Amino acid sequence: MIREFAIVWANSGQLLNGLLNTAGLAVLGMILSVLLGSLLAVLLMARSRPVSLSAQAFVDLFRCVPFLLLAYLVYFGLPSLGLNFDNWTSGLVAIVFYNTAYMAEILRGVWRGLPRDGIEAATAFGFQGWRLFLRIILPQVFLIAAPMMGNQMIQIIKDTAFLSIIAVPELTHVASGIQSQYYVPFAAFLAAVLLYWMICSLVEAGVFAVERLARERR
Amino acid sequence: MPDTSMPPAVAPPVLEIRGLTKSFGTNIVLDGVSMQVGKGQTVCLLGPSGSGKSTLLRCVNWLEPPDQGRILLSGKLMGFRDGGVVPMNGMELARARSRIGMVFQHFNLWPHLTVLQNLIEAPIHVQGRQRDEVIGEAEVLLDRVGLADKKNAFPAHLSGGQKQRVGIARALAMRPELLLFDEPTSALDPELVGEVVAVMKILAEEGSTMLVVTHEMGFAREAADEVVLLDLGRVVEIARPTEFFTKPKTERARQFLQRYVHA
Amino acid sequence: MTAAAFMTLLQGAGVTLAVSFAGILLGVPIGLGIALVRWGEVPVLRRVAAVYVSLIRSTPLVTLCLLIFFASPSIGIDIGPVSAAVLAMTLNTSAFNSEVWRGGLVSFPKDQLEAARSFGMRPSGAFRRIVFPQLWRSALPGLVNEMTLLIKGSPAIAVVGIVEVTRAAVRIGATTYEPLPPFLVATVLYIALVFGFVCLQRVSERTYGRAGASA
Repeated sequence: MIREFAIVWANSGQLLNGLLNTAGLAVLGMILSVLLGSLLAVLLMARSRPVSLSAQAFVDLFRCVPFLLLAYLVYFGLPSLGLNFDNWTSGLVAIVFYNTAYMAEILRGVWRGLPRDGIEAATAFGFQGWRLFLRIILPQVFLIAAPMMGNQMIQIIKDTAFLSIIAVPELTHVASGIQSQYYVPFAAFLAAVLLYWMICSLVEAGVFAVERLARERR
Repeated sequence: MPDTSMPPAVAPPVLEIRGLTKSFGTNIVLDGVSMQVGKGQTVCLLGPSGSGKSTLLRCVNWLEPPDQGRILLSGKLMGFRDGGVVPMNGMELARARSRIGMVFQHFNLWPHLTVLQNLIEAPIHVQGRQRDEVIGEAEVLLDRVGLADKKNAFPAHLSGGQKQRVGIARALAMRPELLLFDEPTSALDPELVGEVVAVMKILAEEGSTMLVVTHEMGFAREAADEVVLLDLGRVVEIARPTEFFTKPKTERARQFLQRYVHA
Repeated sequence: MTAAAFMTLLQGAGVTLAVSFAGILLGVPIGLGIALVRWGEVPVLRRVAAVYVSLIRSTPLVTLCLLIFFASPSIGIDIGPVSAAVLAMTLNTSAFNSEVWRGGLVSFPKDQLEAARSFGMRPSGAFRRIVFPQLWRSALPGLVNEMTLLIKGSPAIAVVGIVEVTRAAVRIGATTYEPLPPFLVATVLYIALVFGFVCLQRVSERTYGRAGASA
């Protein structure tokens, strides 16, 4: 057993690379899906029925499809649309599509529950349209939604493991490679599990800090 | 009632309301209300609950677009472009609203911003004024309402009276031509009403132009230049407070005073 | 796509359902056990349970499947892919389920327990007669939600060689060189499965959600 861990330790550089890919995919995916999710939330809240209904259909569709299947659809589907991405980018596109739907749903839920009076005051003071959304509505929505967005971030981190199946060199893929090269399955995968645990705990600590911040602003 | 058909002699009043009508469904809330607020005047809107006072206030800055009637701000039509036919679009409405300050019953502060940020948010981002200048002014205003030491606190940490004083300072930071107060003390614990009324009295004495919906008869009696009694969406009586509270002209006013003042 | 290919996909859906159900049947009661250990503040065990939940909750199902399947021989147990898959699903969902159960337990009104104790009920009796009948009602919507998430995570078991829906679609695509049609059919199958659970969740929320919350 000690020998197994020694082999994994000797390959820690590879594992670190995998970890960086996982973290990079998750962070980029998070940023992009929060941006796009905010826009989609605006469409979900649109007064026009056709707009809000088609946004809702988009969200519902992605909430029913498993992430791996979506990753495959992107991986095999984009080339047939003439878009040739490498595996890493295909994976990122899948993450962004998938989580944009989730983020929009989270943000919409919070937005709906937002007290009306702050928005009314902003209207009376001359805020309207995008300025009202960006300066008054969105900051409050983000503060309240932060814990849920943090949970979604953890979900993204875990979903990146699916991308090992389309050969994205993330943490699980690297661990898999080490195990098949040296046959050290227990040590290799356990190392991966512990690294996932570490970054998920980091995100949780971040969420906790934001929650404290949010509590005094409520 | 003042004769609203007369052309203004010198400068037009800061606020002039002509024949304002508003209904929600079949419920007529305002039924042809006409009144005005002159420059530097404090006018108190009184009336039993459900008389349409708050709706009238909310029609002035178009939070509730009226069904009929005209609202003129320093002679300029509210809610419509010049000519009075084409409704204002969102941008134009926002610009017009930014000339009016409003103080709300439930304070309606922005919870994600500090006290100082609450004051400077609209002057900077709606009126497009210089940040440094606005901050300097906001600090003076906070000092005047006695909250200079709270400028970095979040609203959640303030008492009701403090929140409302921030609400007033926030409205003043807009350098408004007109201040609207929508029952500013109704949501406060009784022992906190005094501190808010004191600030409002100072504003009235200093010559701010104010339209105040209130149940604080003491404020109306001492600080108002004029009192308007509203009942069932109609103006019942417009009078100086000294006359209104001692010898009201109408039977309805007498009944109102009996219930709300002498009770 | 041929009829045979379609049958393969349906069979895959059957595997997805079967493994998921096995995971749910095992994971729901295990989750309750973990929640009780933490709620009842059982010494030592509660710390073990807390670490277990935290660790499993941050482990991707894919990685867990690989760990169990490939590492079990090295500790002397050679389990097949199906057992490995069911075990991974069970571990995964039990950690999430325990949080749902625990949420229900933590918000359970203490006065009812005190009342039960003052009537001379023993803790186990009080749990069976007083707590559980109310607890499962309040936990049901959350549990069904976890079931939906488990189904959506189930393609992970393909990494140990089990041919469930997604894997079946990959295989068909690899032989016909037209990957998109089988994936689209698979999408429809998942939507049907997940939608069934979403309906179940809405019904359980309407029937028990509020009753549980106000109990």
